[in-house]
This record gives sequence, C-alpha cells and structure tokens, in this order.
Amino acid sequence: MAKIKIATDWLAACAGCHMSLLDLDERLVQLLDKIEITSSPITDLKYPPREGVTVGILTGTVNNTAHLEVARVMRERCQILVSLGDCSVLGGVPLMRNQVKMEDALRRAYVETESTVDGLIPRSEELAQPIFARPLDQVVKVDVYLPGCPPSADAIHFVIGELLEGRIPVLKDQVLKYD
Amino acid sequence: MDKVVNIRINGRHIRARAGQTVMEAAKGVGIDIPSLCHHPAVTPIGACRICVVEIERQRGLQPACTFPVTEGMRVETESPKVVEERRFILGLLFSEGNHYCPFCESSGDCELQALAYRYGLDHWIYQNPGEARPVDGTREHFIMDHNRCILCRRCIRVCSELAANNTLGVKYRGAKTVICADGGVPFGESTCISCGTCLQICPTGALIDRKSAYAGRESQVERTKSVCMFCSVGCGSEIITRAGRVLRVEGEWEEHNNGVLCLKGRFELFKETRKRIETPLIRKDSRMQQVSWEEALDTLAQAFKKSPSKKIGAWTTCRTLNLTLSEFVAVFLGKIGANVGVLELTLARFKLPLGGSLNDLLSADTILVTGADPLSDHPVIGYHIKRACMNGARLVLVSDNNNEMRRFAHKTFSLNEMGKAVKFCQNSASPVVLYGEETPPEQAEKLAALQRKAHFIPLFPESNGFHAKALGLRANFAPSQMEAVYLLLEDTSLSDEKIKQAREAKFLAVHASYHSPITEVADIVFPALLWYEHEGSLYNLEGKKVAVRKAVSLPEGLIPENEVLTQLAARM
Repeated sequence: MAKIKIATDWLAACAGCHMSLLDLDERLVQLLDKIEITSSPITDLKYPPREGVTVGILTGTVNNTAHLEVARVMRERCQILVSLGDCSVLGGVPLMRNQVKMEDALRRAYVETESTVDGLIPRSEELAQPIFARPLDQVVKVDVYLPGCPPSADAIHFVIGELLEGRIPVLKDQVLKYD
Repeated sequence: MDKVVNIRINGRHIRARAGQTVMEAAKGVGIDIPSLCHHPAVTPIGACRICVVEIERQRGLQPACTFPVTEGMRVETESPKVVEERRFILGLLFSEGNHYCPFCESSGDCELQALAYRYGLDHWIYQNPGEARPVDGTREHFIMDHNRCILCRRCIRVCSELAANNTLGVKYRGAKTVICADGGVPFGESTCISCGTCLQICPTGALIDRKSAYAGRESQVERTKSVCMFCSVGCGSEIITRAGRVLRVEGEWEEHNNGVLCLKGRFELFKETRKRIETPLIRKDSRMQQVSWEEALDTLAQAFKKSPSKKIGAWTTCRTLNLTLSEFVAVFLGKIGANVGVLELTLARFKLPLGGSLNDLLSADTILVTGADPLSDHPVIGYHIKRACMNGARLVLVSDNNNEMRRFAHKTFSLNEMGKAVKFCQNSASPVVLYGEETPPEQAEKLAALQRKAHFIPLFPESNGFHAKALGLRANFAPSQMEAVYLLLEDTSLSDEKIKQAREAKFLAVHASYHSPITEVADIVFPALLWYEHEGSLYNLEGKKVAVRKAVSLPEGLIPENEVLTQLAARM
C-alpha cells in the first residue's frame, strides 16, 4: 500500500506544536512505515507538493498576509486539513494583539521595547503586512480540530491514527485540552 | 412533612419534595445537571440556560434551576436535543469576551471550561469579535477582568442577597452588557466593602485574587476546614494552602455565615508584616538573646517561685483556643494561685441569656443593637442584620456614637433611652437583641424585660470571649502592682497604655507570635503559634463549640502554648 502523504506548516506559531509532534519519538519512526511527510518547517522541503497530499496540518494563528497565502495553498493541496494547537484552532496568544491598535502594537514591538535602541517599524512592501489576527477556520475550511497548547504527543498520535483508519477523530478526555 | 411528588428523571423514578426545582430533585439522587449561573447559596434566576432539560408536555426546553417539580413529571437531562442545545449555548458564551484558557488564571478550575470539556467542544462555533473589554484593578485585593465575564450575575446576587451591600449591578444592554458597581464607578471607588464573596463565587476567571492568582490549581492545593479567628462571630472558613503556605481563605457555604467573610477574615492574614518570634528569648546584659526552651522555662519558673503568689499576675488575650485558655486558668489560678485575667473585655458584667444565633437574626422582625457597632467590629453580623432589614425586619439602634449601622436603623435611641427601645421590642413578635461592651450596666438591666421573648447575641470583642467569660476571666489588668507578670498575647498587640503599665512590673514574661514594642521591654519572651497552626477549638458568640484546624505544619522548634504552660506547671 502506498504511503499516506502528509504536509505540515506553521503560521504565527511558537514551534511548540511541532515540538510536540517530535515528542512522538519512536512512534514517529513507526508511523513513517505508513506515512510520508512531504514537507514541514523542520525539514528541507517547506512547501506542500503541487500534486497534493492527503492530510495537511497547520499550526499557528493567521496573523499577516503571508499566512493567508500559506493557508490558501495548503487548503488547495490537501484533502483533509487539520487545525493543530490553540493558536490555529482558537486564535491563541497572538489574538491578544487584536485588543490594541495595529500601530500601537508595531510601535511597542519595534520601537518601545526596553532592549531596543533607535528602533524602526519595517515598512517595506516586500514584507507581509500584519492583519487582524484570527484562527485558521476564519480563513479556510478546516476538517479536523485539535486544540491544546500544545496538544500532547499522545493527542497528535491519536488524531493521525484515527485518520489512518479512515475516521474523523472525536476528541474527549485527555486528548481534549485547551491549555 | 413536605408533600412528596413522584417524578421520572431519565426514566428513573424519584420521590422529590414539593417546591423543589428539577435541579434540586436531580441533585438529591446524584443526577448531575450542569449549571453556570446557578449556585445553591443564591436565588436561581435561569440566566445562562446551560441547565436546560427536556420536560414532557412542555413547549421547548426548560431551565432545571428554576422549574418546579410537579406530580408525574418526566424529565430528560442528557437527551440528544438537550446536548445539542447546550453545545449551542456554550458556543454563544464563548463568542463574547475572551475565554482563551492558556493565559487565564482559572484554567483547570473554571466551570465554563469544564463544561466545554464535558460537551467536547474542540473549537469555537461562533468566532469572537475580539473587542477588548476593560479590566478593573482599582480594588486592593482582587481584580475584575470583564473579558472573562459570562454575565451569570452570581456576584450581583451574593452582593445583594448575602452581603446585603447592593453594590453590584449591570449596565448597558445586549452584547455590551457589563457588571458594574454603583451604576458605573470604578470598583475601588464604589460602596464595595471588599468582603470578597463575589470573588469566591465567580465561576470563571473574571474575578481574580491578587495574592493567590496562578499560585496553584484546585488539584494542587489543600483545603482545611476551619474557623476565622478575627472576631467572635467565628465564621466557618476554608484555609487553602500549598506547600505549607496559605494562599487564600474562603467562607464555608454550609456554616452560619453562609459563605460570607469580611474584608478582615478574607484578606487581613496576607497583610502581616510583623517579624515572627522564632525561639525563646531572655534579656541578658540588657540584650535579648536566644535560649533553649529548658532555660527559658527554668528562668520563668524561678521568677515565679521568688514572688509571693499574690504578687504574680497573668493575663491572656481572648484570641486563644479553649485548650490554652483552660490550661492558663489551671496553671496560674489552680497551681500557682496567681491573679489571672484577660486583656480584652468579655461582657462579664452582663447577666443576660446567651445562645442566640445568626439564623435567629434572619427570622427576626425586630433587631435591637446596643452598645456595639457590628458593621465595623463584627461585619458578618452586620451583613446579616442588613439582610434581615432588607426582608422587612426593623433595626432599633441604641448608641451614643457615630455608628455605622445608623443609616439602616428604623429607630435610634441614645444609651440612656434603653427603656423606650425595650418597649418598642416588646411589641414585636420575634425580637433579637445584640449587646456589646458600650452598654452601661444600669441600661443593660432593662434588657432583662425581653428575656422571655427575645434571642440574645453577645458581641464579644475577641474571638474566644465566650469561653473566657465562662471560665470567669475578667479584664482586670493591673500589672504595675505585681512582681512577676506573664502576658499571653498570641498575635495581638498591646496598647501603649497597657505597655506602660506592664513595664512597671519587676519581671515581665511575654508569650507572643510577633515582635512588638512589648517584647522589646520584656525580660523573657516565648514564641507563640498562629491560630491556623493550632489544632483546637473555640466557642463562637452563638456558644457553639467549633473546631479550629491546623492548616500549615508547625514551624520548627515551636511548642503549642498549652504545652508550654503544662511544662511550666511541672517546674513549679
């Protein structure tokens, strides 16, 4: 049987969710008998292949115009999109930025921080522009949600396992955590 | 005997009492219907709708917390329709405010979060518009974060129904609705008395205790059921500790205080800045030096042996537990034959009945308060009086000074008009009399006329005044005429006037928890425990014996006061 192709990427994320994925340890090696990870932020290949994958996994908040693009491409190239982690599912810590004006947030981050001298807000048009932060399902259709900050390796294992069995996972007990 | 009503919940036959709600009937047999706005301590209002259940022949779903049981009723509490509705309601609750768990103090102990887990919400059904609501940090002890508030109105109800303070309400309408104080002033500038009952009853992280925030979840802390020792009301309380540190104090819902504590009882403990006495100290070469318990006890025993028993004086605070008080009397009066007494007044000269309770207050039609100011000195009694007044009782105040209770009084008399006050009470059906030390004896005698009708509540100035009075101890402080004096202060401090008198004694022993001006001038100092380090009991002003429990372990090298006294007696 051909291996199931999985692609993963992050938006505004702290990398904690991908650390949790790596926490699968030897179970990850066993999983590789059944799956192929085509691309991820922690491998050489970053972008999901043009020919598409079965499962796409995104972590992090949709926080700027580049994230919109990453989310759109992943949605187009995968059959099942998994929203992984609190930032992706609920909005997460970056959502706190919505409570202040964008200019105030930028000035605080690039100019006013205690460790900054002669700070400057980057304005180049080549850079992605920050937008109102929002969870992934506000931008593209999501098929499977796995909240958690981060979701435990067990929870990730459970979700991938259920998908491999052809089922949409139903989260409960220890698998369902919001923090 | 209440009428029995036969109902079926989830197919199970239940004998409920007429007048019960569906929620109460279900709870009685262990069927759990979720609730958010409902709490047994306050009137149900059916605001949050999370407790909706299916009731046969009722149109739509009905809230279990307000729906009364009727004969033959059939209820389904977890049918697919009910579960779908509850998930929908949770979705709506999460769509307003900021209910994001990872940076919330209440995560793990939050009733809203627990329900989201229970109904398997893996994402928010309706997205939060992300509009920030304000955070009010103007109160000294706790913060209100409106972003976490689900408008269950529990805080409003405890404020009006239990603390009888009516500070809280809501302002604006619809999605803009917020909890507010006095129609919209910052909490710290409002009429809020910081009793903290709202903080204790909040189901989410909207109200945050500054001291114990992020210091431990419910699963990581220990709870010790005890009694508050800040006044003689003796409120039932729970002391919440982690790793030997007191995090916060909560009121016990099931006790006579109905979960309510006052500013002092809830927060005073955490304002302590005095330095703890850790070992016995003896003055040597005009300096206080650390010594062993043996040396200190031997020195004290020697000093007492040298003095004739008539020239030995021992006084204790009433803020001490039964065992220590009894031992104090047994050792100093029984064994040494010294002059004994207490440092605070004990209502010793009043020959009035005891045994009135806080519950009597709530069912009283007339309340007479004389020579006391409960709102400042026994606040929880004050709240109970206000509660009773809100429910129609009349307050008769007999006082000469600027009493806090004055603005709630139906009639106010001066202390020498006691006769008129008594007459007013004689015309009522169920009067309660609360009397304090400021009542002159000749006026107090007039209260005896109400003996057959009224309940009497003595307002002792200190926590175990009831037992001190029962032991016959009086406030007869006269150390200047003594050769050797022993003062058991616990964690109280002595007035400058009393310190001046005490200094005139030839030999002064002080038994106290903290360093203070009196320990600076003592010849010998013994370290005392704090009340929540003791295992013991006291009599509250109702005359009920209540258990004071040890919430943290004994600091190393400390011996309970009663054992110190026993060891002293063995040396005499």
